[in-house]
Parts: sequence; structure tokens; C-alpha cells
Amino acid sequence: MSYQRTQNFVSRRQQNWSRNQNTVAFVSAIKLGPVTHTVLIALMITILGLIYLTQATRATGYDYATQKIDSQIAELNIQKSDLEVENARLTALETVKNSSVAAAMTAPVSTDYAQ
Amino acid sequence: MKFELQKGSRSRILAAMMFAIMALFVARLFYLQVIRHDYYVGVANAEQIKRLTIPSKRGLIYALDGSNPVPLVMNQTVYTVFADPQNVTDNQKVVDVVRQIAGGSTRSNIEALLTMKNSRYQILATKVTRSQADKIKSENLRGIGFQEESMRVYPEGGLAAQVLGFVDYEGIGRYGIEGKLNDRLVGEDGLLQSVTDVSDVPLTIGNNNINKPAVDGDSVVLTIDRNIQSRVEQALADGLQRTGADKASAIVVDPQTGRIMAMANLPSYTPAEFNKVQDAALFNNGVVSAPYEPGSDVKTLTMATGIDKGVVTPTSTYVNTDSIQVDDATISNASLGYLGTLTFQQALNWSLNTGFVTIAQRLGDGNNITREARDTMYDYFYNRFKLGQITGVEVDGEMAGTVIPPTEIEGNAVRYSNMAFGQGLDATMVQVSAAFSAIVNGGKYYKPTVLAGVLDKSGSLVENEIAAPSIAIEKSTADQVRTMTHDVRQTLLASQIDRQGYYMGGKTGTSQVVINGSYANDEAVGTYLGYGGSEDLSRYVIMIQISAAHRVMRGAQEAGPIFTDISNWMIDYLKIQPKG
Repeated sequence: MSYQRTQNFVSRRQQNWSRNQNTVAFVSAIKLGPVTHTVLIALMITILGLIYLTQATRATGYDYATQKIDSQIAELNIQKSDLEVENARLTALETVKNSSVAAAMTAPVSTDYAQ
Repeated sequence: MKFELQKGSRSRILAAMMFAIMALFVARLFYLQVIRHDYYVGVANAEQIKRLTIPSKRGLIYALDGSNPVPLVMNQTVYTVFADPQNVTDNQKVVDVVRQIAGGSTRSNIEALLTMKNSRYQILATKVTRSQADKIKSENLRGIGFQEESMRVYPEGGLAAQVLGFVDYEGIGRYGIEGKLNDRLVGEDGLLQSVTDVSDVPLTIGNNNINKPAVDGDSVVLTIDRNIQSRVEQALADGLQRTGADKASAIVVDPQTGRIMAMANLPSYTPAEFNKVQDAALFNNGVVSAPYEPGSDVKTLTMATGIDKGVVTPTSTYVNTDSIQVDDATISNASLGYLGTLTFQQALNWSLNTGFVTIAQRLGDGNNITREARDTMYDYFYNRFKLGQITGVEVDGEMAGTVIPPTEIEGNAVRYSNMAFGQGLDATMVQVSAAFSAIVNGGKYYKPTVLAGVLDKSGSLVENEIAAPSIAIEKSTADQVRTMTHDVRQTLLASQIDRQGYYMGGKTGTSQVVINGSYANDEAVGTYLGYGGSEDLSRYVIMIQISAAHRVMRGAQEAGPIFTDISNWMIDYLKIQPKG
């Protein structure tokens, strides 16, 4: 592996700014051929595809989880509504009138108002 | 490596063929993907994208229990159990399980339905509750399915049925609150548009997904108090039993706000079983939808008109001869014999028609019901007390009734002499009770309402503001007429039956019924219109109406006791403190 000095133009301003610093850069002498380029591009596309697939699958997985939770919420809402209806029936006037508690109640002999 | 395709060589021919085939593919793909792009995208979307309606929940209807909302109409998820007869393997087990669990919800011919092997869908049971459905599901019956639906349920049974109305099989509210406020109750369905998998599970992939949540309908709270409503319905039922009448109606109004605390008609129906009703007239709420001639109840309004215009006072006098001539008509009293000089308080006590025709005359030139008198009466009856026009109460089917203006030929002196004692005009009970409330509360007319407010998402009641009242009459006028009606009740009815220490008043009405264009002698509607509370503040106005085919129902004898029954109960319920 060997390196060579760059032939790039460096302005005077930059030269002054970079004085006393090691600003030497090297360019790789390795040249990549067309086959290598093709393989690298194919690899990059493959990796990008895999990343896309991973993300899409993960999103779809979330969809199923969401759907499951939505179903649970719907089921719980139905149960809640059923309980509310049952509660309303149990506290309805007719139910209360016909309850054993109501049957055991007696009318007061007399009532008065506190002043 | 370098290929040399020589002219005419097989390789060159093969290459040319391959090129041609590829060109064909490219052309075809160009056609399919570019030229027919929109079409195939549409086909693909139709296959992959589902549009699912998210149904909104219909709003609930609440009544009040004191100041707390309690549900009168709710939603419940129920299931329709259906079978695919081709997939059912054990008919007898299906019959046994469904009958045992669903009970009365099961179709009677379930065995026959399961033998219809050429059918793929037969309903075995309807309105099955969730717990019942879960039990049937746990039996793992082959070929059985469940369809979810929402149903209106009524925890209080038939209470306030004609106020509530019902929801028909298409989900549309009919009659009552359900009909009037259908748009508010029904809400707005949502939309879910998404790519779905084979099980119709929505997926987030795709660019055209729409998720518009459903907006549930408003849950409304009525001003109806369920305890008062129940007591009123019971009192009407007792009244019908006591008198043998066919029909009875009642309305209870808070005169200080116009809020209707109870509104009932008998006979009635059960909203959950609206499909079993044979006579559609039962759906009507007679309090708002049945205008009638109010009869002597209107004398309180005529009295108020006379006092407000300064032409009479309670102690002013007139000479009663039991009949009075108006143009070519002779108008007689229903109660005869109170002859001579009488005060208008006495005329009101004994409900003498001549007294109120006299007031109408005094609104004119003193002897005739002139155009000026008729204009004045129309102004008070129609514009101020709002008889003969829609009140806007939030119940479906309200009728306006009729008050004929003096500008019409029929609005002549005879018509207005009749109107002075409650004939010749049509009004509904809600109109009459709202007008009477203006007398009871010091002269302010409040628009009658059954809507207290709505429940917000946290379940708290957001109350409607009470609409600003209009001034119907002067306060001094209202106070005088209120005192007069108190005296009427004390004189005739109440000294023995009203709770002591409270301040009640009222007026009876016995209205002849018009049959085939003339007044029937064998049929009359009895009404009682009264108020109660303390001397300083009336807390309720109650109006009772009772009728029977070919029978004369009288205000004092048949309607009055129902008023008293409710009034004495209201004293306790509203915890009104007695005087002294």
C-alpha cells in the first residue's frame, strides 16, 4: 500500500490558517473495478431491502398488536355497558318498589319539620 | 471475453429474437404499468383496501332523580345467533343448547330451520345477551355464528313511553324525544380505510389510509323527574280505575322555569315492545299533540286579560241573568241559578260563562265585543299566553292548535265571546299549562322544555340555560289572578283535601266535545289546572285531563281528585315547608 502527495490547490489564506499543521492528505491508490462496484451496489440494495422489510414487518406486527388491543377494548366496553344496564335495572323504580327492603319499610306515625 | 456476432450467425439471430422478446415485454409492461396504471391501481386497491364503517353509538336518554341523572334509555349489545345448516353436524345438540341458553329468544321452528340444507343462513335466536352468547360459544357448535348489534333498552320499562318514543328497525328515532332529537342522538359514523390482510385486520401500510373516528350521539338529560313521572302515571291509572274513563293525561311544570317535570298519557305502551302495539295512536303524546277546546281553564286567562287592561278587578261586579246575548247568539251558564249582582271572583268560583263574556265586552265598548276587544283578546291569548302556536317543546309531533284572529271572518264577536270561556279555540295541554304558569309565577311566560342538558364525556350534567321569559302580564295582575284561583279552590274543593299549611289554587274545566261539527251532549273532557307550593312561591303547576267515549267527565269530580292526589304527594317530594 503506497500513498502520494495530493496536487490539490490550497489557497494562501488556508495555508496561513493551517500553518504548522500536518495537512498532508493521501488518496488511496486502490482502484475498484466494475464488477466490484456492481457487487457493492447489489449488496447495498439488498441491505436497504432488508431494512425496509424489517421495518415493514415490524409495523405490521404492531398492527396485529393494535388490533388485539382494540378488540380487548371493544370487549371491555361491551362488558361495561352490560354492567351499566344491569345497574340501571337493579336501581329502577319498579325493582326498588318490589324489593324486600321496600316491603319491610313502614310509614312514619307522624312527621315534622325542623325549623 | 469478447463476443463477435457475425452477420447471419445463430447467435446473432438468437440475440435479435431475445431483443424482440424483451422489447415485447417492455412494451407490454409499459402498457400495463404506465398507460393502464390508474386502472390497475384501482383494481389492486379494491382488492386490498377495505372501507370499514365505524358505527357511532346512539346517545342515551336520562331523566332526573332529584338533581341526579338516571338512565331511561340505554344501549345494549345483543347477538343474533345464526346457523349455516350445511355445516351443522349435530342438529339436536344445537337445538338443545340454543333453547336452553337463549330461552324465549329462540325461534319456535328452530328444528325445521336446521333441516334446510340448501340454505347457508338461518336465524336461530335474536336479542341474545352477551353472557348467553358466551355460553353458546363455549359449546363449540359447528356451523353456528353470531352477529353483533346494538339495541335500545329501557331500565324503567314503560315509564314516560310517550315522552321517549322509540327507535325503529332502521335505527331511526320515532315519536317523542327519539324522533325530535334524532339528529343529535344518532351521532356520526366514522370511517376506517386501510389495506387489510386476509382476515380483514387493518394494516398501516399504504398511502391512502383514513381513520376518521365515530362521533357518538349526545346523551341528553330530560327535565322529567322519574319519581314524579312514576307518581303521575300511578295517579292517572288510579283515576282511570276510579272513574272508568278511557283516557287520561297529565303534565307537571315548574312555573318558575318552564321545565316539565312529568308528562304522561294513559293508555300507554312499552317502548321495548313497540312492534306489538296495535293502535298507532298510542305512540302520540296527547299533552303536546292533541289540541282541544280547553273550556273553563281559559277563564283564568280572560280574567288576567281584563285585570291587566284595567277593565275589571276581582271585586268588580256585573249582573248575572244566566244568559247573555252576543249578536245573534245566546250564551248561557253551565251552572244556573246564581242570579243578581255578582263579583268576578264569584263568577270565577262558579265558572259562570256570562261573567267572562262580560269581561270581553268591557274590553270593547262595554256592551259589545268590538274589534278593539277582539284585538286585545287575540294579543293576550296568542301573543302573550301563546295559545294556538307551537311552543317548541322538544317532543315530536307537537301540534299548534288554533286561535282564529279577528282579521278573519270567523274571528267575529260570537267566536270571541266563546273564546272568553274556553270554547272556539284549540290548544294543547302544554300550551295551557305554560300560559297558566305565567299567571302563577308573577307574569313571566317561560318556554316549556323537557331538555335539562347533556352529559359530557365525564358523565357530568351540562345544564341548558333557561331561556329568558317574555312578560305576559303585569306582576300585580298575575298575583291577583293567582289569589283568585286560590279562592276558587278553597271555596269549592280544597278545604278538606289539601294539605294544611300550603298554598294551592286551581280551576276546573269541563269541555264539550265537538263531534261531526257540533257539540255532543253526551261527551265532555274534564280538566283540572292548578298549582301548589307556599304562599310566596308556587313550585308546580299540574294539569289533568280525563275523557271517555260517550261520557261526561267533569273537571271537579273526575280530574280534580287526580290533581289533589299528585299535589299532596308533591308537597312531600319537593320538601316544601308548611306555613306556621
